[in-house]
Amino acid sequence: MGVVFLRARAVTLLGGRQIRLPLISFRTSRLTLYKPRTLIFVKFRVASQSVKMTESSASKLLNGEACQRALRAKNAGKNGFVKNHCVFEHPRKYRRPAEKNQNATSNSSLYKKPFSESFEETPLLVAVLTYMGYGILTIFGYFRDFLRHWNIEKCHIAHEREQQKDFVPLYQDFENFYTRNLYMRIRDNWNRPICSVPGAKVDLVERVTHNYNWTFEHTGKVVKDVINMGSYNYLGFAENTGACAGAAIETTHTYGVGVASTRCEIGNLDIHEELEQLVARFLGVESSMAFGMGFATNSMNIPALTGKGCLILSDELNHASLVLGARLSGSTIRVFKHNNMQSLEKLLRDAIAHGQPRTHRPWKKILIVVEGIYSMEGSIVRLPEVVALKKRYKAYLYLDEAHSIGALGPNGRGVVDYFGLDPKDVDIMMGTFTKSFGAAGGYIGGRKELIDYLRCHSHSALYATSMSPPVAQQIISSMKIIMGEDGSTLGADRLRQLSENTTYFRRKLREMGFIIYGNDDSPVVPLMLYMPAKIGAFGREMLKRNIGTVVVGFPATPIIESRARFCVSAAHTREMLDTALEAISEVGDLLQLKYSRRGRPLSSLGWSSEESLLQD
Amino acid sequence: MPLGDCWKHLSWFYYQYLLVTALYMLEPWERTVFNSLLISVLGMAVYTGYVFMPQHIMAILHYFEVVQ
Repeated sequence: MGVVFLRARAVTLLGGRQIRLPLISFRTSRLTLYKPRTLIFVKFRVASQSVKMTESSASKLLNGEACQRALRAKNAGKNGFVKNHCVFEHPRKYRRPAEKNQNATSNSSLYKKPFSESFEETPLLVAVLTYMGYGILTIFGYFRDFLRHWNIEKCHIAHEREQQKDFVPLYQDFENFYTRNLYMRIRDNWNRPICSVPGAKVDLVERVTHNYNWTFEHTGKVVKDVINMGSYNYLGFAENTGACAGAAIETTHTYGVGVASTRCEIGNLDIHEELEQLVARFLGVESSMAFGMGFATNSMNIPALTGKGCLILSDELNHASLVLGARLSGSTIRVFKHNNMQSLEKLLRDAIAHGQPRTHRPWKKILIVVEGIYSMEGSIVRLPEVVALKKRYKAYLYLDEAHSIGALGPNGRGVVDYFGLDPKDVDIMMGTFTKSFGAAGGYIGGRKELIDYLRCHSHSALYATSMSPPVAQQIISSMKIIMGEDGSTLGADRLRQLSENTTYFRRKLREMGFIIYGNDDSPVVPLMLYMPAKIGAFGREMLKRNIGTVVVGFPATPIIESRARFCVSAAHTREMLDTALEAISEVGDLLQLKYSRRGRPLSSLGWSSEESLLQD
Repeated sequence: MPLGDCWKHLSWFYYQYLLVTALYMLEPWERTVFNSLLISVLGMAVYTGYVFMPQHIMAILHYFEVVQ
């Protein structure tokens, strides 16, 4: 005899109606061991009316209330349609905009200040020339591979020995085509060794290469005082003097450097407990947990939170650690277009309406994974809209604030502070200490039950060595400075300096005529280069002018959209920024990088006089 | 001096050509190969134009009955 447990999940759907989705499970006694489980197909009816969201209902949505709407009886008979009830409307007609402006205008009630992002479209001529450049490089790549294969030229890459030529191949030659033939030629722009603290200015080790970047030699000289526009040093805490460094030295004297165990065994120091309580207070959550490595925080904790039968909705441009964690978890992953709330809403509605792929069972949980600031685009997530969607469709939100914690918001508390939302709305707040705190490691914050669960079930907590004590002390001191608890105004000064530097830098670059992606408030500034030769040329020319920049190409970005990424820091003074801007302008003129086709405020006087002549 | 200016201008144009065609990333001998291929193809096109253009122009003018 079987005992049937009927559990009903109430889901608030469109129109405010509550629909109960029954989950039936059988617990069988010994006599009826092999009774098959019945599959419940969930069908429900939705009325297909078109609904406009008013401003008051949008804000009510933010508070989680269900909206009451009248039903029309004649349309109540349709089955399985899920259209026309979206919170965020699709544009009516397909328009091809001159710039890809992610529509910020329709939901302005959720945003307290204007949300201005821009991703100017690639000019057509530049795109064609970029493809031509890649085509020429590909032809020469094939030619060089041919020469290498027939031993006309010495082969520097890894290959099997003569005796092993008939074995199963160990090195995939074709897949490394890009690395061998394109990346190697401009490899001197990456992995540059640094020999000082990566603050606002840094010292580089000088290298020369005699065989076109296959091997490097150090000349013994050091390039001093290179302005550092590449380090994620948003608040300037990467320094070897000052209160943080002093406290870290004291901690090294007390605890040493190594911990020699995991958190679960005997590596749980009192400094870790102090750090976790401080992080929880900083974020405004109940409890938090710190890990030794930021990448490992994402990739090892998402598998602990979701599994088979769960759905992960992740943004198109999420970081590799989030993608790896999602894949390791074994959940179904669906990708929505970058920062596009219509795409996310469509996925949520389809997921709830259709359930799991073949069985149509409801998903065990739906997890939306977004980042605070996307480091390759410089865009900020539309958090108020994501929170509204999550509340409406009862999903969970995982927010990765790697770049935004400490860098956004009036109090430096990240993107939640920037939009003025409640931290309790975000279920899992994750972040790293690498960027704004000048340390290393990551954290996850949330409710106490979640963190207690993660302490026992996360791979990182069980098997990875815990954070080193001086690093933990660096985080504690820098966090106290940001919060203002050390008694000085250093934290507030740095936050203000960062936002001023960001605004100034972005405005100046836009005025000069470069194409800059991203939100006006994000300290990550991508400057578009497009052509492959300009990637190498930009990096080298900037280094000649004593400015260190990070240039990025394929595969971190789409193939034609290569860029140079500047990270503005609170440690940069106005003079440093001016020097950097002058050099960037010079290099931009030399390399013809000023692609922007928006109107520039200069030379309007000449225009008007010409026009008046023509009218006569 | 105008010759120095001219040389600087030409040098800048050559640099832009190297950047746009991605020859900037190639080794000098590869640049030589590409440049010689390009110049030979362009030279052949110019020579063909020089040889055949008068005939083409006469044919067009004949078609439009400008000359007999």
